[in-house]
Amino acid sequence: MAPLDDKKDVPMFSDYPQQIPKIECGASLDTDTFKAYPEHNEALGFPGELLPNWKEVAIAKMGELAKKNRAFQVYLDACVKCGACTDKCQYFLGTSDPKNMPVARQDLLRSVYRRYFTFAGKYFPWLVGARDLTKEVLDEWYTYYHQCSQCRRCAVACPYGIDTAEISMAAREILDSVGVGQKYCNEIIAKLKKTGNNLGLNPKALRATLEDMEEDLLDETGVEVKIPLDVKGADILLITPSADFFAEPHIEGLMGYAKVFHSAGVSWTLSSYASEAANFGMFIGSYENMREVSWRIRQAAKDLGVKRIIFGECGHAWRVAYSFLNTLAGPFDFLDQNYPIPQHILEFTLDEIESGRLKIDKSRNDEHVVTFHDSCNVARGSAMGDKEGGQFDVPRAVLKAVCNNFHDMERDTIRENTFCCGGGGGLLTDDLMDLRIKGAKPRMTALKQVADEHGVNKMVAICAICKTQFAKVMPKYGFDMDTIQSAHQLVANAVILDGQETEDDAE
Amino acid sequence: MISTVYAVLFYLATILLVVGVGMRVWKYATTPVPLNIVVSPAPRTKRGVVFRMFREVIFFESLFKSNKWIWIFAYLFHWGMLIVLLRHLRYFTLNTWWWVEIISPIGRLMAFAMLAGLLGLWARRVLQERIRYISNPSDHLMLALLVGIAASGALMSYVTHTDIIMVKAYMLGLLRFRIGDMPTDPILMVHLGLVALLMIIFPISKLLHVPGVFFAPSRTLVDNAREKRRVSKWARNLPPLPEGIPANEEA
Amino acid sequence: MAYDVNGTAVEHDEEGYITNLSDWSQELAGVIAQAEEIEMTDEHWAVVNFLRDYYEEYQIAPAVRVLIKAIKKSMGPEVGNNKYMYELFPYGPAKQACKIAGLPKPTGCV
Repeated sequence: MAPLDDKKDVPMFSDYPQQIPKIECGASLDTDTFKAYPEHNEALGFPGELLPNWKEVAIAKMGELAKKNRAFQVYLDACVKCGACTDKCQYFLGTSDPKNMPVARQDLLRSVYRRYFTFAGKYFPWLVGARDLTKEVLDEWYTYYHQCSQCRRCAVACPYGIDTAEISMAAREILDSVGVGQKYCNEIIAKLKKTGNNLGLNPKALRATLEDMEEDLLDETGVEVKIPLDVKGADILLITPSADFFAEPHIEGLMGYAKVFHSAGVSWTLSSYASEAANFGMFIGSYENMREVSWRIRQAAKDLGVKRIIFGECGHAWRVAYSFLNTLAGPFDFLDQNYPIPQHILEFTLDEIESGRLKIDKSRNDEHVVTFHDSCNVARGSAMGDKEGGQFDVPRAVLKAVCNNFHDMERDTIRENTFCCGGGGGLLTDDLMDLRIKGAKPRMTALKQVADEHGVNKMVAICAICKTQFAKVMPKYGFDMDTIQSAHQLVANAVILDGQETEDDAE
Repeated sequence: MISTVYAVLFYLATILLVVGVGMRVWKYATTPVPLNIVVSPAPRTKRGVVFRMFREVIFFESLFKSNKWIWIFAYLFHWGMLIVLLRHLRYFTLNTWWWVEIISPIGRLMAFAMLAGLLGLWARRVLQERIRYISNPSDHLMLALLVGIAASGALMSYVTHTDIIMVKAYMLGLLRFRIGDMPTDPILMVHLGLVALLMIIFPISKLLHVPGVFFAPSRTLVDNAREKRRVSKWARNLPPLPEGIPANEEA
Repeated sequence: MAYDVNGTAVEHDEEGYITNLSDWSQELAGVIAQAEEIEMTDEHWAVVNFLRDYYEEYQIAPAVRVLIKAIKKSMGPEVGNNKYMYELFPYGPAKQACKIAGLPKPTGCV
């Protein structure tokens, strides 16, 4: 088995981030992601393998979803094929495959919906592009709905707000319901239900890892900074992606949260039962699975008797937390109502900075020239603070408070128009590496612009997926893998703890 | 004879339009929104959402930001059509309302705005490869239908005038369920026939974007998910999950 | 899908991770490394052995940071650093080294 990303077509930057390619039919048709094993599907309540009567089940599921979800129904009806979305998807820009244009991706499913659920499609299928559901169509769904990161950049562009993510989630839900799941997502959800996190990290290993980090923090600062686990009666429960216990630069972020909490003097804890912020139930469009995964957080919060819940840096997790958690696992009437429920770690950190409780030495980040990658789910599916657009302004405010050199990338590639990193929505798997590299092209091009113009050498992300994706993909574009940083990594660099030994002291 | 055929056609088309769109709107309104999926830039208040939707419907704000060419053509077409339609009120009211009198001269001109917009959109559909790729026959036919309506109307306004007094009398009659005589100009018959066809296909075609835009959860929800729970009826019936951590799962 | 170890077939998944962890042997590690186009040196073996020991203890692969710290301790800072790990295992110490060490693939956002 040679490494999966060993394809010879080396990615090239575009002339500018939004450069539109000529369409190339079938260009990414051979992109395939491993199918889930029966045990993965069954753990999620889906059939293990393709059902013999899959066609009837799939059509019935489609009808059911249209009844249960207004968005799905309206979006299937309302598209006029104006074309405004056609140049908005990073996977189309990266692969040139026209089926990666948002409207074309929606049409893979809409064409079948029309055939079975609309007058025109039932009687004049050729007129409205309606088609029968066949095995080929099902395969095509699997291929192209796993080339969508559900980032919703197209939804911002659409005059009616049609959100391809909703269609893509529904398509994956239909596929799962007939026994065709994706290995990456389903294996992970199954693992979380067993161990409490995507990684499969058991409490013993988690404790050992945290102790190791405490040791590092002590070595670095000379201060005993704790990373508590399963502490009953702590005030704050921190829910963070399990990648923060494992990968780089994620871990640096976690150590940053620990420093901030230490400095703020609050009592906090992680939970080994809910040791995961990520919720892949969203990626597969399964309300039930998303609810079950979310519920663990409620259970842990009750069990530990905490007063507040704070989320670490994780993009889609923050969407689920901010936008869905109250619905899925609420009401949180047992928590302290004086704080946002849940709160984002950046909201907490900004409060600490603005109140002056956090001692900052900005100059410690002077070697870095920083830009910020708005993670898609944070940017378009959630908010922070209490003002509109807080999800853009709060992270930038924190970064500007901890470093002197900050430059934004081009306006059409950030904030609500941000490009996906290329690995979101359940695509962060090695078997999709080629797609991930191509999907990162617009972002890499925008980064190159600020690197050339302003000497930017660090890009900050607040999402575990973004961080892993960029760490992997950046070297393909000629950037060092440590160009990608956690926001709290830069915070950690600049924070000075009480009693911390600094270089100035040494001199 | 022809007058009766058109009368029946119009009654039928009106019923299909009203009942069809009504049913669709009812369906949209009663289908649950299980989660808050509002998309940025999302207002934090109801008033903000009203303002956002106002900008979408009046200025096509999102389209303006995402594609200037489509915006220009779509804007010409939709606003042209609206003013043309308002002008048509003069054929349905015994004494033409004062403001309809005022816009009438502009209304006549607006036929050209409408046509320009439609032809621009059609040209893009044919010439721009990405839009050509996503077009079905129905997308072209819809444009053909609208061009047909606009062109036949403009023809009567500017070239071969029909007996407009007689048309008005016929329409006023229809409104009072009396079928009078309609001029049998071929162009008028084409014009009215196409309009009836448009009304009939409205509730079963992509013209549903008109009610649809008001029901898209991504735009019409308030960004207040941390404060407001929304549990839809079907979600309430899901099996309950345990409070606290079951002893056997304790870490 | 299987590796061939002196005529014995050892099952692996689509990505080359062995299905039955008890199938692992030093010989197999050599075969997997060959398939990964890696020539095993003492340094590679140090990483593989640490991973196996850690897995034995914790039933999971260590964080990259923990691995690097351990290697730094045993082999010195020239080997025990992130950059060198990627030279040893170009596809990433977490995933590629785990594969050779016969550990399950780390899953999640990693």
